[in-house]
Amino acid sequence: MITYVSVGLLALLSLSIPVGIVLFLLGFGVDQFFSGFPLTRALGNMVWSSSSSATLIAIPFFVLLGEILVRSGVAARTYAALDRWVSWMPGGLVHANVATATMFSATSGSSVATAATVATVAMPQAEKLGYDPKLFSGAIAAGGTLGIMIPPSINLIVYGFLTQSSIPQLFLAGLIPGLGLALAFLIVTAIICTIKPELGGTRRVFPFFQMARALVDLVPILILFGLIVGSIYRGWATPTEAAAVGVAGALLIALAFGGVNWTMMRDSLLGTIKVTSMIMLIIIGASFLNFTLSSAGLGRELTSFLEGLGLSPLGFIMVVVVIYIVLGFFIETLSLMVVTIPIIVPMVLAQGYDVIWFGILMIVLIEMALITPPVGLNLYVVQGARKSGNLNEVMLGAIPYVLVMLAMAFALIAVPDIALFLPNALE
Amino acid sequence: MGLLLIDRLRRLNRAIALLVGLGLLGMAAFVVADIALRQVHASFGGSEELAGYAMALVTSWGMAYTLLELGHIRIDLIRSRAGERLRMLFDLFAMIMMSGVVVTIAIKCWPVVERAVTNGSRANTPLATPLAWVQIPWFAGWVWFALMACLVTLAALSLAVRGRGAETEPFIGAFAEQDSLK
Repeated sequence: MITYVSVGLLALLSLSIPVGIVLFLLGFGVDQFFSGFPLTRALGNMVWSSSSSATLIAIPFFVLLGEILVRSGVAARTYAALDRWVSWMPGGLVHANVATATMFSATSGSSVATAATVATVAMPQAEKLGYDPKLFSGAIAAGGTLGIMIPPSINLIVYGFLTQSSIPQLFLAGLIPGLGLALAFLIVTAIICTIKPELGGTRRVFPFFQMARALVDLVPILILFGLIVGSIYRGWATPTEAAAVGVAGALLIALAFGGVNWTMMRDSLLGTIKVTSMIMLIIIGASFLNFTLSSAGLGRELTSFLEGLGLSPLGFIMVVVVIYIVLGFFIETLSLMVVTIPIIVPMVLAQGYDVIWFGILMIVLIEMALITPPVGLNLYVVQGARKSGNLNEVMLGAIPYVLVMLAMAFALIAVPDIALFLPNALE
Repeated sequence: MGLLLIDRLRRLNRAIALLVGLGLLGMAAFVVADIALRQVHASFGGSEELAGYAMALVTSWGMAYTLLELGHIRIDLIRSRAGERLRMLFDLFAMIMMSGVVVTIAIKCWPVVERAVTNGSRANTPLATPLAWVQIPWFAGWVWFALMACLVTLAALSLAVRGRGAETEPFIGAFAEQDSLK
C-alpha cells in the first residue's frame, strides 16, 4: 500500500492536478483497493470535522495579520530602521535583509509573505547602491524562510493539527532554531563579505541619534510579537486567540502609521480568503487521506516495512532527510509537508523520536525546499520583485544559506535539545 | 459566451469572498472582545465553538473564489514545459478531476446535514447550537463550489471544442508561481 500510494501521489501530482484534489483521489483509491469496508461514507463527516476547527482559524488570522502589515507600508519603515542598526557589518545592507526577514517572521506565519515583503522594500535599494545582486537576493530568499520557523508559524499549526501535537510547544521549540538560523545567516554573510568584499556593499555607519530615532519604527513590531507570543505563554490566550489579538494589533499599528484605507483592507481580506481556501483544500484532503490510510491498516504495514529495512533509528532519520531534500526540489512546500505527514510521521514516531522535535526538523528541511530550484517558491518571489537579472543569480546567492540550513538539520539530529530545551524548560 | 460567464462568476465570487473576509474580521473582533472580558472575569462564552463554525464557513464559501483566481496549488513542473495544446489538455484534465471530486464531496456532505435536520441534533457544548443552523450554510458553500467547478469546466470545454482552447488558459491554467502572489 505504501508503495502504491507514494507512486500514485507522484504520478497524480505530476499531471498537475491541484494538490488538494490529488489527496482526495488517493483517499478514494485506498478505500477502493485496500479497505474491507466503505470509508468514503465518512467523507462528509471528515470534511465537517476537519474544517470546523477553532485551531485552524488561526491560519486566516495570521495570513490577514501579514497582509495588513505588508499592505500598510509598515514593512518599508522596519527595513529602513534595521538598516541603521545592522549595516555596519561587512556586507552592509545584506544584513538588513536578514534582520528584516527575521523580524517579520516573528509576526508573520508564512515564508512566502515574509520574502515578498522584504524583497519589495529591499530590491530598489540594491540597484541604487550598486550591490552584487546574487548574495543580496539570496539573503532575502533565505531570510524569508524563517517565517515558518520563528513563531507564529502557519506550517507548525498545520503540523500540530495533523499530528495532534501541542501547537504552543511547537512554537516554543521553533524559537531557538529560528533565531539560531538568523544569527548563522548574519555570520556567514559577514564571513563571505570579509573574504570577498565585492559581493557585499559599502558598510554603512549611522550617527547614534539616527539609530535611536529608528527604534521608534521597530517598537510596534516588537510589541506585536510580544503580544502574540506572550499571551500564549502567559495562558491568557490559545494560539487561535493570540492570532486574533495579532490582527487587532496589526490594524492598530497600520492605523498609527496612517496606512489603513478601504483598498488596502479589501485587498488584504481577498488575499486572506484566497490563501486560506488554498491551504484548507489541501488540509481537508490530507485529513481524509490520513483517515483512509490508518483505517486500511497503514500502522501494521509500516511496522513490518521498517523491520524489513533493518535500519537503526539514526540511519532511518538520515533516509528521511534525504527524501525531504529530494522531494523538496520538486514539490511546493506546504504540499510537501501535508502529503508526507500521514506516511512519514508515524514511521518516525515508531522509531522512538519526539513528535515536537521532528516537527522542527521537518520545518528546517522544508525551509531548504523553499530556496532550492527548480521549485523553490521564495526564489521566484524574490526574482519577481527584481527589475533585471535572471533567476540563476538568486539561486547562486542562496547556496551559502542552504548549507547553513543543512548544518542546522544535522545539528538538530545530533543535539535534539536545540529544539526541545525551551518546551521542556517551560513545561 | 464562455468568457463572459467566467467574468460574471469572477465578480460574483469576489463579492462573496469579500463578505466572507468581513465575517472573518468580525470573528477576530469577537475573539478579542472575549479575551478582554475574561480579564474582568466575564465572557460571552462559546467563542471557541463559534470560531470553529466560522472556519467551516470561511472554508466552504472561499473555495470557489480561490478556484476562479487560480489559487489552488498545482505542481506544474511538467505542464509548464509542454506546448500550448498539451498544456490545455493538462488543464482540462485537472478541471474535470477537480469537478468530479468536489461534486462527490458535496454529495457526501448531504447525509451530515440531513442527520442534523431530521434528528434536530445540537452541538455537545455549552451553547448547544442546533447543528442544522451552521451545517446548512456550510453544505450550501460546498454545493456552490461544486457548481462553480462544473461551470468553469463546461465553459472551458465549450471553448476547446470550438477550437478556441488558447483562450482557456487565463481561467483554468496554472499561474506562474510568482504571479499567484499578487
